[in-house]
Amino acid sequence: MSREISRRTFIKGAAAAGVVLAAGSYFTWNGRNIPEKVQRGDVTYDVLIIGSGGAGMRAALAAAEDKNLKVAVMTKLIPTRSASTMAQGGMNGVTGVTDPNDSVESHTFDTIKGGDYLCDQDAVEYFAERAGANIYEMDYMGYPYNRQADGHFHQRKMGGHSHARASYFEDRAGHAMVHTLFEQCLAHDIDFISECQMLEISMSGEKEDQLNGVVAIDMRTGNLLGIPAKSIIIATGGYGRAYWIRTSNPYSSTGDGIVAGMNIGIPFKDPEMVQFHPTGLSANGVLLSESSRSEGALLINKNGERFMSKYAPEKMELATRDIVARAIATEIEQGRGVGEGIHAGVYLDFTKIPPERVHERLGQVFDLSRRFAGVDITKEPVPISPTCHYSMGGLEMADFHTGASRVPGVYVAGECSCVSVHGANRLGANSLSEVLVFGHTAGDGAADYARANSYAGSQDKLTQDCQKWKDRFDEVTNRPEGCGKTVPEIRDAMVNTMWFKAGVFREENQLNQATQELRALEEEYAHCYVGDPSHVYNTAFEQYVELGNLLQISHAIVQGALARKESRGGHTRRDFPKRDDKNFLKHTLIFKDKKTGEYRTEYKDVVITKYQPKERKY
Amino acid sequence: MDVKLRIHRFVEGRKWIQDYTVPLTTGMTVLEALTQIKEKQDPTLSFTCSCRSSICGACAVRVNGNAELSCEMLVENLVKRYDTTELTIEPLGNFRVIRDLIVDWDPKYARIKKIKPTVQPKQEFSAETGCLQSPADFNKYKKYAGCILCGSCVSECNKNTLNQKDFLDPFVFVKAEKLVADSRDRSPEEHLKAVVDAGLWRCFNCQECTAKCPKGLDPAGAIEKLKAATFRYKLDDNVGARHAKAIYDDISESGTLDESKLNIKSEGFFAAGLRAPMALRLMHVGKMNPLDKHPVNPEIDTIRSIVKHAEAASKEEE
Amino acid sequence: MKFALFPGCVLEGAAAEAYTSLKKVCGKLDIELEEIPNWTCCGASHAQGVDDLAALAVNARNISIAEHMGLDIMTVCNTCTLQLRTAKQRLDKDKELREKVNGILRDSGHPYEYKGTSKITHFLWVLDDHPELLEGRITRPLDGMKVAGYYGCHILRPQEIMDHGDGKHPEYLERLIRRLGGDAVWFDANRKCCGFHAQLAAEHDVLTVTGQIVDSADRAGAAAIVTPCPLCQMQLDMYEPEGRDAVGSRAEIPVLHLQQLIGFAMGMSKEEVGFNRHVSAQEKLKLG
Repeated sequence: MSREISRRTFIKGAAAAGVVLAAGSYFTWNGRNIPEKVQRGDVTYDVLIIGSGGAGMRAALAAAEDKNLKVAVMTKLIPTRSASTMAQGGMNGVTGVTDPNDSVESHTFDTIKGGDYLCDQDAVEYFAERAGANIYEMDYMGYPYNRQADGHFHQRKMGGHSHARASYFEDRAGHAMVHTLFEQCLAHDIDFISECQMLEISMSGEKEDQLNGVVAIDMRTGNLLGIPAKSIIIATGGYGRAYWIRTSNPYSSTGDGIVAGMNIGIPFKDPEMVQFHPTGLSANGVLLSESSRSEGALLINKNGERFMSKYAPEKMELATRDIVARAIATEIEQGRGVGEGIHAGVYLDFTKIPPERVHERLGQVFDLSRRFAGVDITKEPVPISPTCHYSMGGLEMADFHTGASRVPGVYVAGECSCVSVHGANRLGANSLSEVLVFGHTAGDGAADYARANSYAGSQDKLTQDCQKWKDRFDEVTNRPEGCGKTVPEIRDAMVNTMWFKAGVFREENQLNQATQELRALEEEYAHCYVGDPSHVYNTAFEQYVELGNLLQISHAIVQGALARKESRGGHTRRDFPKRDDKNFLKHTLIFKDKKTGEYRTEYKDVVITKYQPKERKY
Repeated sequence: MDVKLRIHRFVEGRKWIQDYTVPLTTGMTVLEALTQIKEKQDPTLSFTCSCRSSICGACAVRVNGNAELSCEMLVENLVKRYDTTELTIEPLGNFRVIRDLIVDWDPKYARIKKIKPTVQPKQEFSAETGCLQSPADFNKYKKYAGCILCGSCVSECNKNTLNQKDFLDPFVFVKAEKLVADSRDRSPEEHLKAVVDAGLWRCFNCQECTAKCPKGLDPAGAIEKLKAATFRYKLDDNVGARHAKAIYDDISESGTLDESKLNIKSEGFFAAGLRAPMALRLMHVGKMNPLDKHPVNPEIDTIRSIVKHAEAASKEEE
Repeated sequence: MKFALFPGCVLEGAAAEAYTSLKKVCGKLDIELEEIPNWTCCGASHAQGVDDLAALAVNARNISIAEHMGLDIMTVCNTCTLQLRTAKQRLDKDKELREKVNGILRDSGHPYEYKGTSKITHFLWVLDDHPELLEGRITRPLDGMKVAGYYGCHILRPQEIMDHGDGKHPEYLERLIRRLGGDAVWFDANRKCCGFHAQLAAEHDVLTVTGQIVDSADRAGAAAIVTPCPLCQMQLDMYEPEGRDAVGSRAEIPVLHLQQLIGFAMGMSKEEVGFNRHVSAQEKLKLG
């Protein structure tokens, strides 16, 4: 055992060519979560991917097609724990195998209309043209598609789709995708750098536009590593955890990559565009599937009223996600909800549905309600409220043909990026296809970049950046009890601000208040209590870093929401209830000033090709 | 009511059991209890979690000796099951512990690699046009595609607890059966051969994996399916396969097991001869008498016919 | 109370003492047993690994004979119980499969079809469900004798098939030991698998775990181990010496069939329950 216990030793400096360690001290490697060549310090990666969800692994497979390239995937967890695993419905792609009348044009239009015309139409065309090919490719990789009689994968029609085009595995489409890609990565011997949390992207040069590599903490040892790379792909997922308990996202969706990207000058595009799903459990935000309402569950307020009659008298519970989410939020605000504070909700009532049908078709909904709310839905209604489901916004992808950001050598893909194909509201089953299409594209793009350029980063700067984080680790983790609020205390305060002042409904006064409150929280964060001095798997430090990221993300959401004086897709302003194409048919771009840390808002026009904005009716 | 959680701690080489008390609330999962402790009592308590809806596999731990996904296991149900308000929480078994409840997955990936873990599509398929597969063929492996790699199945695996070197984790067998049963694959025998070499027949058949799988995948059943496939692909030249075959054949020969001949059939005459001292011991207490003639079931013709008809039907199904 | 008895192969052979003691004990407990005529091996948890459908059909035949007798089935072996109950559950749940298997039985000239009318239970479960059976029959209580209850695997798992109590926290064997007047001791290795089914393929590991179980029961102060499964009994009793060597233990402890322990509590002698056929620790067992 003694060999495995980390032992504090001193080295004179890390190997010159490869991985850089913070000077001073390091701890003996504990296991193989990091490839030996990284431990030895003799590798500079051609393509280093941050994030091991669908986008990250798809990118890795694309880049690794060139056997001469050194490719690695880094993750703060281990592979297969990502948000992608949670996607249920399917992945879109026009193949015509189930519905021969489907077309790329139709997929393009459904996506643009779903996105409330905030999508860049050239990017959507590129996306829709390639989505089908990616579906076939996944079949060849071994994806366990549900099949139809002729042997092709089956495609189903989902909300907002004009044709059946979502391929799937049961109700676990994302889970199957992640595991299929992981099998391929294992077979192709892709390097995984697991349990390493990215802290910073290190840059050098006069304009700070020369990529050195990535600074990360090895969770197992607490070692701070600088991993040199010619190119990197940020694929770290969304930022739903800004709403903490009121999100269906995993604990890990904390926007780490977005903040790291903003710090090196990549703008955060459309941060205010967050999708709220109407039916999350009030208890903990876990999603109850869309099928609840389509099978006939009713929405009831505290007084026993079926309140949807006031908001959508014809469609009632079957109205679109955004309409239902707003109706529920209104009922709660006006005092007709059940429960308190962040757990307030309304009832979702399944008791009119025959119990056999509940068991047959809503098995998962039954299980989740019983487990987390202690409610047998065949006997009593379960409290639900809207839950943050998806981040449309993200790091600006400057060139959708390559996945490149505006910083040379830095690529983006997946939910952490904004292409934009989702616009103001993502169409169902487009998230997994986006991950495949742009994961693939970014993998190819980064590989091309690595082939065309030699490493010109500064190892010295990388070392300095490591040292900076090492000092910070030591300072932060050794703060005495009572030095300030705890990380969870600040986080809970942040969530209250975000949910009640920048959630389903937004308006100027409240957003201004939110800005003030977030500022105050940032100050408290500067001297918060972390409480774990150990260098071995310090999850308290990990959560401290994540909270820092979430505070910055929240700030950007509020700033974007304040500036966008209209209502569009997932963004609803009480004081500006209509879409305003004249002034806001454009993307919000939030830049972080490298010196002051202040945010600056700019705008960029939406790209329109052939679909002129129209009122969105379903 | 309060619940006492006795948590096995391990930090930087130091091991101890630490007691925490949390108030029991309706719907509180083990993960929520752990989170509450970390947030309100002890920030040093360490564990991993991600999706908290039983699909990412990050949060499995052992409660009172049994592996559970902590995000889906209600504390109140455990209190009921064990009839106590004291629960012991440990990291998963048969993993190396890094800290507290966090375990090391890296060696497991190396084990997955052993079975050549991808579909090798048949010649007629391509990346551009995908593959074809009937819904019936899809049904043959779809259950096994539901594995979330949470590690619960191996935590109490009896064979792995004794020796992991000559055996695989149940989830690796599940993956292997998924591949072997997938009609898109052109060479199931490649995965199968790897699995046989890695210890397929050493399974104790204790059913712990099946009892622990939170997804109901029945890894022990997957192992049986792999075994049956080794006969189809003629990869059955080993002691475990011969033993199973000997038992199987006894049903057709006499209807019941002929214990005195089983070892000889399984291990060969010479190896079985090495067990002579054991045989003498058994004869001494009257447990074995090689002179006894094994009785034959009076309905043996019917029984043989049932086996033959069933075998024919099995072949047809392939 | 009457059952169709499925004795299983080892009760006809190496564990014949389990059969004689069962008959004697049941005779005194008002449990009437009628052996299923011309039953065959359940497959011993191996046959399905050769041909799944054949193993299933053979058990459908076994069950159908009991159905024709109009009786529920009782077994005394964990593995037989699991094999038969697995077959029953699959046949009851899947109509198509049932028709296929019934077709096989019919084509082979078997006179009965599988209907699903007979339940399948284990001797231990019968006693747990009907505590009144033992009332007034315990004439020589075990007088606080420390007994290590060893369930074995197949009576507990999988829960979906072996649905008696909670397989992760069973208590019925201990309850029975206490009813017999014994002291049910907790021992660390009580949920380990004896390894019987892998004795040939993983010999060293199996002997090790055999030794661990025996040693662990001994350390807990048990005077005897009792098990509801004749396969576990054979493994722990017959290989006790090798198990001891494998773990470097000196533990020597008798391993009893459940019905033997009950027989003792009902006043039977060692010879009556066939204890003289045991390999290990014959002289160690002290009866009051």
